[in-house]
Amino acid sequence: MVSAKKHVPIVKKRTKRFARHQSDRFMRVDPSWRKPKGIDSRVRRRFRGTQAMPSIGYGTNKKTRYMMPSGHKAFLVNNTKDVELLLMHNRTYAAEYDHPLVPRKEGKQQELANMDPRIAHGVSSRKRVDIIARAKQLGVKVTNSKAKVTTEV
Amino acid sequence: MASPAIDNISADLIWEVVRNNNSFLTKSKRNGGVQFSRDPLNLINKNTRKHAGFVNDKAIGVVRNEKGFTVITKKPSAPTKPKEAFLKSEHSGNNSSRKAYKSVANQTAKNGYRPDLREAAVQRVSAIRQSQRPVKPEPETKLRGKRAQKAKEAESA
Repeated sequence: MVSAKKHVPIVKKRTKRFARHQSDRFMRVDPSWRKPKGIDSRVRRRFRGTQAMPSIGYGTNKKTRYMMPSGHKAFLVNNTKDVELLLMHNRTYAAEYDHPLVPRKEGKQQELANMDPRIAHGVSSRKRVDIIARAKQLGVKVTNSKAKVTTEV
Repeated sequence: MASPAIDNISADLIWEVVRNNNSFLTKSKRNGGVQFSRDPLNLINKNTRKHAGFVNDKAIGVVRNEKGFTVITKKPSAPTKPKEAFLKSEHSGNNSSRKAYKSVANQTAKNGYRPDLREAAVQRVSAIRQSQRPVKPEPETKLRGKRAQKAKEAESA
């Protein structure tokens, strides 16, 4: 596997969610964000001490948007042909299939360790093995390379 | 391979028609909606005007084969005859890398193909050759924590 290209550090300006005004006071008010529209609303008028409202300033730097901590961007893959698309992009994109996680077996784990695309969740374990092998030849990282192909001892 | 351009239609027009939907295009809605292209005449697999070989009159592609790679070039002289329009030259993996790069560079830039594709062509050859090398085995992972302890006990017992 090749490591990702050098990039500016990833900064998450805010990791907390924006809760809807007064969702903490009433069960019936759902926390999903709604912009306050009332004529007197203190939150809308941005009074001191009130909740912050989402705004474009919280947006992620374009250069690091969608980037995983490894510096790759994920690309969903269904078969080996999809992996080949990443031949020239193994330092920017990582393949992946959805839905990680199934118990694992140690022996296999070792030979499969280092990939970086991601494989779609409906892909069978038989095909996953092919995908992972191909990705390894191409130097493409698979994010969920351990899913389904390994079993617990 | 795509059908080559017809005489009286410009590549620009074809591109405008097919840029958002064609058989080579793969779209993804995740992560900013990246678009790749499966076109064999596309050197970096990106869906862009410059690299869309199936649209351009003259185009170059590098495809892997069993042992080495095949360079495909598209001639503008026979746009409606696919058999004549596409020249294939196979390169075995036995050559040194430098020779391979040189021959590809000569086939492209020196032959009147877009000179700015030369770098991509050489990079692709390099990537293909790299992928054809035997894969190094992963180093064995060391056991840590409880597993390591258990292994130790088993060994001493």
